[in-house]
Amino acid sequence: MSDQIFSGIKVADFTWAAAGPIVTKQLSDNGATVVKIESKRHPDSVRLGGPFKDDKPGINRSGFFADFNSSKLGISVDLNHPRAREVIEPLVAWADIVGDSFRPQVMARWGFGYDTLRQINPRLIMFSSSLYGAAGPWSSHPGFGAQGQAIAGFHGMTGWPDRPPAVPKGAYTDSVSPRFAAAALMAALIYRERTGQGQYIELSQTDTGVMFLTPELLGLQLAGQEAERKGNADPYALLHAVFPCRGEDRWIAIEAWNDQQWNACLDVLGSRGEIEGLLLAPPDVRASDREAVETAIGRLTSAWDPFELMTALRRASVPAGVALRGSDLLADETLRQRGHFWPLEHPEMGTLDYNGSAYRFERTPSRLTKAAPCLGEDTDMVLRDILSFDEDKLAELKECGVLQ
Amino acid sequence: MTGPAEAQHVSEEQNGTGQALAGLRVLELSHAAAAVTGRILADLGADVIKVEPPGGEPGRFVEPTVPLLNGERLSQFWLGFNISKRSICVDLESAAGLREFEALARSADIVITDFQRFDLAQTDSLAARARAANPALVWTEIWPFGRGQPFESHPAGELVLQALGGHLCLNGDLDRPPVRIGLPVGILHGGAEASSAALMAYYHRLKTQVGQRVDVSIQECVTWTLLNSTMIWQLLQIDEERGGAVRKERANKFYTRLVWPCADGFITIAPVGGGFGVVRERSYAALVAWMAEEGITDELLTSRDWNGKDAFRISQDDYDRVAEIIGDFIKTKTKAELMDRAVKDQILLAPISGIRDVLENPHLRDRGLYRELRDDVRDVKIEYPALWANLSETPLHPPRPAPRAGEHDAAIRQELKWQSQLQQEAV
Repeated sequence: MSDQIFSGIKVADFTWAAAGPIVTKQLSDNGATVVKIESKRHPDSVRLGGPFKDDKPGINRSGFFADFNSSKLGISVDLNHPRAREVIEPLVAWADIVGDSFRPQVMARWGFGYDTLRQINPRLIMFSSSLYGAAGPWSSHPGFGAQGQAIAGFHGMTGWPDRPPAVPKGAYTDSVSPRFAAAALMAALIYRERTGQGQYIELSQTDTGVMFLTPELLGLQLAGQEAERKGNADPYALLHAVFPCRGEDRWIAIEAWNDQQWNACLDVLGSRGEIEGLLLAPPDVRASDREAVETAIGRLTSAWDPFELMTALRRASVPAGVALRGSDLLADETLRQRGHFWPLEHPEMGTLDYNGSAYRFERTPSRLTKAAPCLGEDTDMVLRDILSFDEDKLAELKECGVLQ
Repeated sequence: MTGPAEAQHVSEEQNGTGQALAGLRVLELSHAAAAVTGRILADLGADVIKVEPPGGEPGRFVEPTVPLLNGERLSQFWLGFNISKRSICVDLESAAGLREFEALARSADIVITDFQRFDLAQTDSLAARARAANPALVWTEIWPFGRGQPFESHPAGELVLQALGGHLCLNGDLDRPPVRIGLPVGILHGGAEASSAALMAYYHRLKTQVGQRVDVSIQECVTWTLLNSTMIWQLLQIDEERGGAVRKERANKFYTRLVWPCADGFITIAPVGGGFGVVRERSYAALVAWMAEEGITDELLTSRDWNGKDAFRISQDDYDRVAEIIGDFIKTKTKAELMDRAVKDQILLAPISGIRDVLENPHLRDRGLYRELRDDVRDVKIEYPALWANLSETPLHPPRPAPRAGEHDAAIRQELKWQSQLQQEAV
């Protein structure tokens, strides 16, 4: 569609798992033609991870895979096959952008490193995203965001001070690096638009993850203080905790940063006496009563339905949020009003709500145009319509096994 | 005294000439999230101008603050994300200040602002003024839930956004409340996301001359960190259960230990349970081989295909037994011993780093992630994580000290004057 930002932009997408495909999803959901390259021998690894449709494993049944690969075309080419270059080279010549998220050197071993690909297409922008990056003693070590979040410090900063660190859900650095990668990629596109020159971008999940810890790294150097996990407490807030609500394992986060919010919170909860009895001291001493105050407030909140309490606190201008679960997110009024979810139909998985972007453009709306591709779903179409291969060539490539 | 002819030259010097965004001007009206956006754009070579109220923006003084040798105390967040920018102080409550803001907007390509700096009405009023002055502007806002619906005025802070993004409920032991990530990740994600979104809109403007408004929702950014929770519900009608050191991994039916005590701290490893294909199978084989070298050869370790075809049929009892054997082995090793062997034999494990570990990490240091920045005004030398990407033709700009409030008032006003002279001459 011509009203989208990347209309006319073409992408050869070798990325897999989460961090890489999340970057190319920003392109495909905004109008770029993104061709994802996999093979039966070397499928995107998250196709092998659940959740699966009906809990039955299958190469085209993973919801984990689906969400990162909306609006993309999928082709199946065995990159280990000696004739792979007959497909990959014209695809690279066609592309504006090539992306990969393998371990460093994997693309080069196939003969598809940047130095080779730029000979085919001098205007090419290529980005490579890996866990540890292309240089350094751990560069060839395999890994995923679960390791990245531990190395980069997210894992250690999550949990209670008196217990081992709790695992942050979600291979955390896989969610950090795409934002940096997309910014660098956009900058390279802008530079190419101005100068005609392509380039190579290389980045790592651990480096970009550490960028988020910049303040704590400065605190360590300048104040000599090493930040540590401290549960949900914030020493600068009057109230900053997660409280039980009615229902099974239901919780609400509440923050009060000033007397106005604090008083409004107590008014909503409707039982000032007990709590104020605990608070005969000025605000800066309240910290010492924190545990008693939180216990008392928890007794009050546990009688409330979490959503009713959130509504009441919001009306009183107190920051409050139910600890939403996966099912709650799908029903969340805010996300629905914002149009966050996109129902897309898939031949094996049926219709599922896919996550859309976190940004909205006033004039160039993002659009999720199709469900994630089945493995090799678009091989024929891409080779015939995009690369202009004739039927004989197509048959020959199928016959020799390079197209799986 | 230099004149209009040198304006371009000065601007190039300010931006550096070898950066991808050289020549692109960004106005930053920030408290926290938009400062992250500005830092990323400045690293990529944009001329980022902080528009601060007289005396400096409140974000400079937000706790936790750090003491500096010149006697100042500054917010560590502010100091972290406001390097490599310029600052001009403008009183946006005065008519003269608003006229100056319009002139700045005319000179700029992108504006970034966040929900903690201005309220809705102030934001809209400034946006209208700036966009009238320069219709090609990319006007970018970061809000807890985005703009344009009743949700835009819901109050929210970081903890609340981690809850409403769906991340909070997934962390922590079951006998206590859900627990957050102890970093302002919502603010950070929102800021980083806005950098790419603003550049997407700017790329569109380069091709079409059309500016636009962009808004980023922090809640949606947090939801994007879950990776698969909404799919797990849709496909399995399961709401994942939170966990601490032990949790259900992905949609597995058994509890997996993910945090393991070692001789000098903790590591993370998920030795069995499948997913991630052959990499995990090889990792387990390498771990078992290492244990065998040291005389640990329990038959259970090799009794089944723990990460392949048998992975979907592991019972809790099976898991607990194999985990005990592996755990006893890990306890005898240090973080460094475990990581060294892991790198040598491709075992998927990692030490759980504290902040000092992150700063001292030999791999990150060898890669050159950190850059020392000497700040003569504040009399400090600080190592910043800086080299977050390698761009072959347009390397990131090396860090420059964070500006004093209004440090560039005179220089920027002079540039605006030249710009206005050049425009008049053109007319």
